[in-house]
Amino acid sequence: MTDTEPRTGPGPDTASDGGVPALALRGVTKRYDAVTALSDVDLDIAPGEIVGLLGHNGAGKTTLMSIVAGLLHPDAGSVRVLGVDPVSDPHGARARLGLAPQELGVYPPLTVRHNLRFFAELAGLRGRAVDRRIEEIAEPLGLTKLLGRQVAQLSGGEQRRVHTGMALMHQPKLLLLDEPTAGVDVQTRERLLELVRAMAAGGTAICYSTHYLPEVEALDGSVAILNAGRMVARGTLKELVRQHGDSAVELTFSGSAPDIVMPWPAVADGQTLRVTVDQPHLAAPRVLEALGGSVGELVNLRIVQPSLESVFLQVTGRYYDAAVEEETHE
Amino acid sequence: MNEGALGRIASLVRHDLRLQLRDPAPLIVRTLMPLLLMGFMQPLFRTALRADRVEGATGAEQAVPGMAVMFTFFLVNLVGFGVFREHGWRTWDRLRASLARPGEIVAGRVVVPLGMAMLQLTVVFVLGGLLYDLRMSGSWPALVAVGAALALCVVLFGMALVSLCRTISQLAVFANLAALLFAGLGGALTPLSSLPSWASPLAPVVPSYWAMRGFNSVVLDGGGLAAVALPVVVLLGFSAAFATLTMVFFRFEHRKVSWS
Repeated sequence: MTDTEPRTGPGPDTASDGGVPALALRGVTKRYDAVTALSDVDLDIAPGEIVGLLGHNGAGKTTLMSIVAGLLHPDAGSVRVLGVDPVSDPHGARARLGLAPQELGVYPPLTVRHNLRFFAELAGLRGRAVDRRIEEIAEPLGLTKLLGRQVAQLSGGEQRRVHTGMALMHQPKLLLLDEPTAGVDVQTRERLLELVRAMAAGGTAICYSTHYLPEVEALDGSVAILNAGRMVARGTLKELVRQHGDSAVELTFSGSAPDIVMPWPAVADGQTLRVTVDQPHLAAPRVLEALGGSVGELVNLRIVQPSLESVFLQVTGRYYDAAVEEETHE
Repeated sequence: MNEGALGRIASLVRHDLRLQLRDPAPLIVRTLMPLLLMGFMQPLFRTALRADRVEGATGAEQAVPGMAVMFTFFLVNLVGFGVFREHGWRTWDRLRASLARPGEIVAGRVVVPLGMAMLQLTVVFVLGGLLYDLRMSGSWPALVAVGAALALCVVLFGMALVSLCRTISQLAVFANLAALLFAGLGGALTPLSSLPSWASPLAPVVPSYWAMRGFNSVVLDGGGLAAVALPVVVLLGFSAAFATLTMVFFRFEHRKVSWS
């Protein structure tokens, strides 16, 4: 397995499952005029699996989710949601999937209850079943006491929870969450992560796009990394860290990183010099020695253990900074 | 149409109604304004109708249907806002990703404005008739037939305009312009017999002309269902044309720009 040949599923568990994957993408390509948003993307998600979908802004995450949800049609390739093609049978696919888009989409003049009720009714629930389902969704999202409140009067985090709840009313087997924690408070983030874990435990497959790598680590799911429209890495967190997660000593200087010959591979990026070593805590003193006179310009030294962050850096060639990603987000 | 589809359309209608009831001010204003304007227009219309040798005309015979027709066309905004606000609230894609089919979403967006148009016409005719002494010599069913055909035509004109407009500003401008132009050309602002010579040949190309012709048949000429058959059929023809325009140009994936 190489960077250019990422596998579609997370590992042997899915391969031996024998059942229909919750999501199967094969060779999906999408172009906007001259821009290729997705190029030959393959991805499998098994029932009950959480997949953290990562990538810089513009990597194609939202396009991928929109294609799965049937909002966009791929120019090439195939999509199957539990075996159903969203292009030829959009209604069948939508019955099986729930989408909470990246942009907050709620009805501000209506109450939380009416927002949830609307999507429950569209899903075919009637009478007491609607009320029961609203209670079931409101409780884990911490919305029970807010059901009678107008959505316009809620905080951003509370509105985000309503937005997510609307995607869950029909108990989808595949849930697409596009940056569900963008701009939310800590409490909302924790509630959403807990809900995702509980739904996955109940058999729902979850495709979770996020800017926050620690969330993916906390969910302990598998990872899919998109870079410039291509799937560049796919596997469980442990597999990817083992394959791509370099450890390093990272040095930050007051000016440009000096050009120093080291006995280990070193890459300068602006003010940062990253020295890839197997045991960074043991190598740090020798790295400092090697700096010679440049040590005076050193402002920070960081021991980088193998992590999703280092995986991301290796497979995309760029650092992943959640704050920068949010700032540059359209 | 299966039970599921009907249930989803009913959900969309209930939802639209909830949203309308959250902000009833536009409907109230659109209903009260024609009643107010009738007071200003009545003396003018009385003179015009008496000059046309309409015996014992109070002016309400022209003022009530005229204002009713003009203000019904302002409802086009209501139809448009129903779609554009979904884009403004970013709920349009959620609807598209829901179990509601495209045809069901359109049907759900048409029913409430249609009901509002009928309600507005009813209130304007009943209250306007009482306040300004409207003496109607024709049949009520004929009046209802013309009103229903007009309401359908207005709502489908609204959907056609939604299909063609990318921004809510465009929609508002074209809807208001059309309401005034149709009112002027169609004989809602002056009796049809008093239209300027250049306007008379153009009048039949606007739906308000046929609505006014139908209302005049009932109110002034004492006509029944047979007398309004032609205007009703023509209004339904306009409705079919607007529905065709909608089917040709409406694209669910098109992004609309709402107020923001």
